[in-house]
Amino acid sequence: MREGFRKELKDLKAEVIGIGRSVIDVTKLATRSLVEGDVDLAAQVIAGDDDLDARCLGIEEHSLEITATQFPVARDLRLLHSLAYIAMHFERMGDLGVNIAKAARRTASRRGPQTLYDLIQAQGNLVHRVLEAMLEALEKNDLELARKLELLDEPIDHLYKQFFRELARLQAEEDIEWASSMVLASRYLERIADHAVDIGERITYMVTGEFEQMGEGTPETDS
Amino acid sequence: MMHVSADVREDTTRPRADKISVKDLDFYYGDFQALTGITVGIKERGVTAFIGPSGCGKSTFLRCFNRMNDLIPGTKVDGTILVDGEDIYAPGVDPVDLRRRVGMIFQQPNPFPMSIYDNVAFGPRLHGVTKKPELDEIVERSLERANLWKEVKEILPRGGLTLSGGQQQRLCIARVLAVEPDIMLMDEPCSAIDPTSVQKIEDLMDELKDRITIIIVTHNMQQAARVSDETAFFLQEKTGQPAEMVEFGRTAEIFTSPKDRRTEDYITGRFG
Repeated sequence: MREGFRKELKDLKAEVIGIGRSVIDVTKLATRSLVEGDVDLAAQVIAGDDDLDARCLGIEEHSLEITATQFPVARDLRLLHSLAYIAMHFERMGDLGVNIAKAARRTASRRGPQTLYDLIQAQGNLVHRVLEAMLEALEKNDLELARKLELLDEPIDHLYKQFFRELARLQAEEDIEWASSMVLASRYLERIADHAVDIGERITYMVTGEFEQMGEGTPETDS
Repeated sequence: MMHVSADVREDTTRPRADKISVKDLDFYYGDFQALTGITVGIKERGVTAFIGPSGCGKSTFLRCFNRMNDLIPGTKVDGTILVDGEDIYAPGVDPVDLRRRVGMIFQQPNPFPMSIYDNVAFGPRLHGVTKKPELDEIVERSLERANLWKEVKEILPRGGLTLSGGQQQRLCIARVLAVEPDIMLMDEPCSAIDPTSVQKIEDLMDELKDRITIIIVTHNMQQAARVSDETAFFLQEKTGQPAEMVEFGRTAEIFTSPKDRRTEDYITGRFG
């Protein structure tokens, strides 16, 4: 019976990693839809969100069922609780991806300065790197990698601030709605990476049983 | 209220001192060493659970606290056990008096073959209480504290063995409470009774622990997690070797983040 329980935990983790993979795809596609002004791609990202939400909810339901029936303790308990917690982060990261896609829809009709698109793309690439590292840390219970996420997140925050400054410089000649959508998109990307850093903290707890607070990776500007 | 977390309880009570202090305890059955090197402080006003696989010495250790092992020929205790600072193995300590202060509840309820009333009055009579009104009062109070009074107040002359298993176990608890112990040892007290009675006994432990230090040996990990403030994990690593106390700590911590891999493996069902 305990064997069945352990398989359930393993399957649950695999499903969470699968959701994480989808979140990475969403982030990538959403960023591309924004940079390329591709409204069809944006629509595709938006349409996929319900499915992602349902999968995240499924993780929570399943983990509640296991908790109620199997009395997990110690590392099993930490794993189960952490998976539910991580799924919740994934759901929010997916929502942020949708927000980026919506920004893509709003901005697609107008082409702004290339510098800004380059900046967003650079930011997207860095976010992608953080997400890949986060998912690998989760998959392999890699403490070192989990602890490195915060470091990987730093340049993303800088890029967000730089984006903000660039935009402020240009704003006089740019459409205000376009500009605010772009800055929000940059902000959403930055938030996605913050979630990944939080997941890193959760991974260290899952593995060690100790809560390690990493520094605040959020820039001063709040949405 | 039973399912209050250990954290909450600790915040609302004054600091708990050690009721029992064990230092470098070794225990032998003849040539066989059953326990080695146990050093631990059992806190007052709380429930401490002993867990571990069968044969890991937890019941043996429990029986050291009221010198029940003295009754088995060839047993030997090295090291010290202090109760309220007094060495209970020092010459001159009267084991009978010790067993009044340190009561014991067994796996199988064991009422004496006498009336419910006489079961509870047995201890006080043994210790010299003879006046009927005084005995009446002790019997009622003890049965009340054991949450059995309402069920038996009309049938006190009836035999203790006519009660259900769960009621018999609470009668045994009342019998222990009648002599006002400071410590109650419980050796698998719930493994022979039905779930409703288990619930009642767990509630009872929670009520009693404000005044009595309770130590429970249990194979039911969920019960240990539910009822205890501190948990000790015992393990005999190899057959023929003495068992040791692998880990001792706050129950909430043991069941979320145990420090020792062997504890973690045991409570998550990876062996044992």
